[in-house]
Amino acid sequence: MSKILKRIYMALILILLYAPIVTLIVLSFNSSRSRARWGGFTLQWYHDLFQDSEIMRAFYTTLTVALLASVIATLIGTLAAIGIQHMHRKSRAFFMGVTNIPMVNSEIVMGVSLMLLFIIGRIEFGFGTILLAHITFDIPYVILSVLPKLKQTNRSTYEAALDLGAAPFFAFRKTILPDIMPGIVSGFMMAFTMSLDDFVVTYFTKGPGVDTLSTKIYAEVRKGIKPEIYALSTILFLSVLILLMLINFTPSKNSRKELIKDEKYLKKHGRKRIFTKRLILGRAIPALLIIVVSAGGIYYQAEASVSSDNELVVYNWGEYMDPGVITDFEKETGIHVIYEEFETNEIMYPKIRSGAVSYDLVCPSDYMIRKMIDNNLLQPINKDHIPNLKNIGSLYLKTAEQYDPGNQYSIPYCWGTVGILYNKKLVDEPVDSWSILWETKYKDNILMQDSVRDAFAVALKYLGYSLNSTNIRELREAEKLLQDQKPLVQAYVIDQVRDKMIGGEAALGVIYSGEAIYTVKENPDLAYAIPKEGSNVWIDGWCIPKDAKHVENAEKFLNYLCRPDVALKNFDYIGYSTPNTAARDLIEDEDLRNSEVAFPDEETLSRCETMSYLGPEAEEIYNSLWNQVKSS
Amino acid sequence: MKKNAELKWLAAPYGVWAAGFIIIPLLMIFYYAFTNQETGAFTFANFSEVFTASTMKAFFLAFGLALLSTLICLVLAYPLAMILSKMHVSRSSFIVFLFILPMWMNFLLRTFAWQTLLEKNGVINTVLGFFHLPAQSIINTPGAIILGMVYNFLPFMILPIYNSLSKLDRELINAARDLGANNVQTFMNVTLPLTVPGILSGITMVFIPALTTFVISDLLGGGKILLIGNMIEQEFKQLNNWNVGSAMSMLLMIFLVISMIISAKTDTDAGAAF
Amino acid sequence: MKNKLIELTDVSKSFDGNMVLDEINLYIRENEFLTLLGPSGCGKTTTLRILGGFEQPDTGRVFFDGKDITSLPPNKRQLNTVFQKYALFPHMTIAENIAFGLKIRKKPQSYINDKIRYALKLVNLEGTEDRYPDVLSGGQQQRIAIARAIVNEPKVLLLDEPLGALDLKLRQSMQYELMRLKRELGITFVYVTHDQEEALTMSDTIVVMNQGYIQQIGTPESIYNEPQNAFVADFIGDSNIVDGIMVQDRLVEIFGTQFPCVDVGFGTNRPVDVVIRPEDLELTSPEKGQIRGRVRSLIFKGVHYEMEIHTNAYDWLVHSTKMAEVGSEVGLTVDPFNIQIMNKPASEDEAAPEPEE
Repeated sequence: MSKILKRIYMALILILLYAPIVTLIVLSFNSSRSRARWGGFTLQWYHDLFQDSEIMRAFYTTLTVALLASVIATLIGTLAAIGIQHMHRKSRAFFMGVTNIPMVNSEIVMGVSLMLLFIIGRIEFGFGTILLAHITFDIPYVILSVLPKLKQTNRSTYEAALDLGAAPFFAFRKTILPDIMPGIVSGFMMAFTMSLDDFVVTYFTKGPGVDTLSTKIYAEVRKGIKPEIYALSTILFLSVLILLMLINFTPSKNSRKELIKDEKYLKKHGRKRIFTKRLILGRAIPALLIIVVSAGGIYYQAEASVSSDNELVVYNWGEYMDPGVITDFEKETGIHVIYEEFETNEIMYPKIRSGAVSYDLVCPSDYMIRKMIDNNLLQPINKDHIPNLKNIGSLYLKTAEQYDPGNQYSIPYCWGTVGILYNKKLVDEPVDSWSILWETKYKDNILMQDSVRDAFAVALKYLGYSLNSTNIRELREAEKLLQDQKPLVQAYVIDQVRDKMIGGEAALGVIYSGEAIYTVKENPDLAYAIPKEGSNVWIDGWCIPKDAKHVENAEKFLNYLCRPDVALKNFDYIGYSTPNTAARDLIEDEDLRNSEVAFPDEETLSRCETMSYLGPEAEEIYNSLWNQVKSS
Repeated sequence: MKKNAELKWLAAPYGVWAAGFIIIPLLMIFYYAFTNQETGAFTFANFSEVFTASTMKAFFLAFGLALLSTLICLVLAYPLAMILSKMHVSRSSFIVFLFILPMWMNFLLRTFAWQTLLEKNGVINTVLGFFHLPAQSIINTPGAIILGMVYNFLPFMILPIYNSLSKLDRELINAARDLGANNVQTFMNVTLPLTVPGILSGITMVFIPALTTFVISDLLGGGKILLIGNMIEQEFKQLNNWNVGSAMSMLLMIFLVISMIISAKTDTDAGAAF
Repeated sequence: MKNKLIELTDVSKSFDGNMVLDEINLYIRENEFLTLLGPSGCGKTTTLRILGGFEQPDTGRVFFDGKDITSLPPNKRQLNTVFQKYALFPHMTIAENIAFGLKIRKKPQSYINDKIRYALKLVNLEGTEDRYPDVLSGGQQQRIAIARAIVNEPKVLLLDEPLGALDLKLRQSMQYELMRLKRELGITFVYVTHDQEEALTMSDTIVVMNQGYIQQIGTPESIYNEPQNAFVADFIGDSNIVDGIMVQDRLVEIFGTQFPCVDVGFGTNRPVDVVIRPEDLELTSPEKGQIRGRVRSLIFKGVHYEMEIHTNAYDWLVHSTKMAEVGSEVGLTVDPFNIQIMNKPASEDEAAPEPEE
């Protein structure tokens, strides 16, 4: 009876642990891109996975970092353990204290502290900084697993060996090393596992263009994960499962009991077969792994870095460019593009300002462009080098002058409005006012934007104020309104609005017009409306940061992007309205060319406002008010 | 012993490394915490930002959730570890392996998968709906965050307790039984006190990451619930105020160190008390 | 005769398909010092653990004072165990260890304190109340383990190789200590050991076990002097065990030589085992000897010399106060009373001692 209870209990916990894993494996066979819907069985993603150089590169970076970091950490850590073992009590206590810091200290503090170190030390963020950070948190694991073994080691055998005339290193190799080997191996394994799974420290110490699987996934979580990632994880999980099963069910020489079993096994199968089996598991599989990793690493790295001089570092919004456009550009020009993504202007800004990373092209929104101009972070664009600028509609260039007088620093890339996306099945009243976002009957059915200006724009517009208000009374009123709204809000999200609305998770969501076009296509129950109180019209534009290293390449890329066929290709992919009038004329689908959502009429636009840069004081007020909303 | 005194120099590379990548970075945090963002002058002002209602709320929320998750982990893990430790040796190593295996799938993905499970139209509610049971709204609540924490950190509680239980001499249990103690008395007087070190290291391994996480709250809280980890992450990654971020980190660090000292003390006290 | 306190009937036990106990029948009388003796793996510890309640027999029953206690848990049994490795609670002081059983039974504190004092006095360890077990020596821990068991006033004390981990000197003094305790407490001791000397010194009754079977039950004298089979003879003290043929009553042939003896009833011309203790072989001149051989080795043992006398058929072990040079030829004689004749065991297995595990 109690045995059955125990089984049930264990089964329940196993279900808890494995439910998400099963979910991920199932999703890897889901033919729908949206995780919210089951679209039928497919192996497509497994096929696509190996075509997706970004994911594969992230995967190999992960493996390479984990392998290098754990090997170096094992070396330093083992030496350190031996050294610590031979220290006097005081210095030993001190070293052990230091070793415990990364173990007791939280990952976030460690990540942050290393980030500060690299910034102050002017070490450029990239593969190297990740590696340094990983080695740092790996070493303690090695030390802590080698030390106990050292304590059990019989010191006299080492001394006897020295006494018999062995050289110290030889004596060490023959006497101490075999004794502490299990500790070294388990330290290495732990270090490797920790590196492989680390997110937090990597997140704070990584540079542009370098991603581990964790950081890649984190970036994608916000805009919807590519199913290829599920496929990769499934493959990884199953291979680890098989490998561990093989190792687990091979007799090991650890315990006496198993030794006896081993002997019996030996009699049965003969020494030679055991030996080969050990050889395969102990040497061949790891060797094979290393070969695969390094070969794959070289392959994908080679693909990544044709030549380090002829490159271009682009920092763009998530899902904001057709990857084909980049590949075509690379093919056409031979320039290698390092492509990084951000989720909000506010996340992008400190990266540019810190100067730790030098980007060649960045795509901020209107108000942010102004802020960057004011803070002297951008350089003027030489329009003579961008003849295709003529394709950009003059209406848009004129609007852009609101934040960039004379169009000196930026070239409009996309534009659009902010509105309400709603599910016609869940909302039967007409949606024409922001007020619907405060209707209690939609409690837990509302998705809000998780960025300061967008959230305040909604509240300010609803109140009838300018969305560029710096009036503290108006702002407080808006904050109060947002506070009131918080209990009704299901989640504050950014790009996830798309997936959640497609999946029918919420009835109403604040969304950018470009996203709206895509979602309506995926789920015909959805519709987009710009409220009568007015809204935000925004323009994202390309800028060249002051410390760009490849200005010429940046100009080439800008010129390329302004070509009508390229702009059209991009428009088809991302769905955001293009200011490229030549491209718009090329749109074949008449409905789309004249779409109200993509290209709203003048009357609607007249109710809309662009955002402008409000200065540091106002920004601080916005931030602190927003913080109060979020943390209330 | 004396003969090999020069061996201590083998720790030199690590010494340099630790100085450069452990100690100096921590000093950086202290430095930033006490300086002004613009001028670099010495100031306490950053701490006044830390002691605002919103930060304190994030801290206490994180503290509460972490405490609750740690407790749930402990309650779930202890019986499980006991079951495992009583199993046949070869079988138990397989089962233990089953409990570690999930850690080999990226933890962000695993946590993210809970969204799919917990959502309004998610797997769990679909199953509940199939049995005509009322749908649960768990996602984007503190409950979901606790679930995420328990889910992610449970193995860290199971393993040390399992280890200390399997190291426990079976004969001590027999001795207690022999001296007249029933199952409950044996557990309270012998098993539990002797596994306190395992429990404490489990608590440490669960509580610290739970207290400081920003990922779990990010993925399962719907951006509505800010923990101290999120506050620090925001200061560094979005608000670009490293000084305030450093001040928060520093206080968090001090808090962690103090709680570790207290728990180490309970360890030795517990040994004496029973 | 004192009454039977504990009785085991047809008790069998196997682990993973290995038969450890095979239908054991045994009774233990009140106030007896009974020793289970045998090599490792013979089933003696398992028998003790079944008595203590830590193992359940697969078949058979255990009776205590006439009541069936086979499935009674250890905490409900009126006996206490002294464990092989003492099993003192490392997180409790000596006083807390000793008080454990009393506290469980909710005895008043003053009673407990008296008992602690009494028990520590009994084992000669006064003043150690507030120490922790790990600062005591092995012998001291051993005595604390005994003290912890006896304060509960068990009717039976089970001791599982309690002296196994101690050095020779300490072991000997602890033997006297245990015998004194037994006298003072007046309770039944069931003692497990593989050390025949220990068993011979302390026991009232010895149960020799091997391979899950009881080989012989008897007083130390009868076990030593009249082993019932070759295993017992070999296990108890040094012996010369040789093949012989019982020619007729009172005459046995060993390697072609006929020896007069006192045993009758084995029939005629039957193969038997013959046991001759080394001290029963008399050293003489070669001419007078019933057996002639050459001295192969010689060791001075203090009281006597130990010699190996080589003959074509067998190397005889001899203990003698006389000595002969290595290589010299000697004769051996044996008194008919000192020749012990035993039936051959039914199966080979039964007699063959199992190697160390």
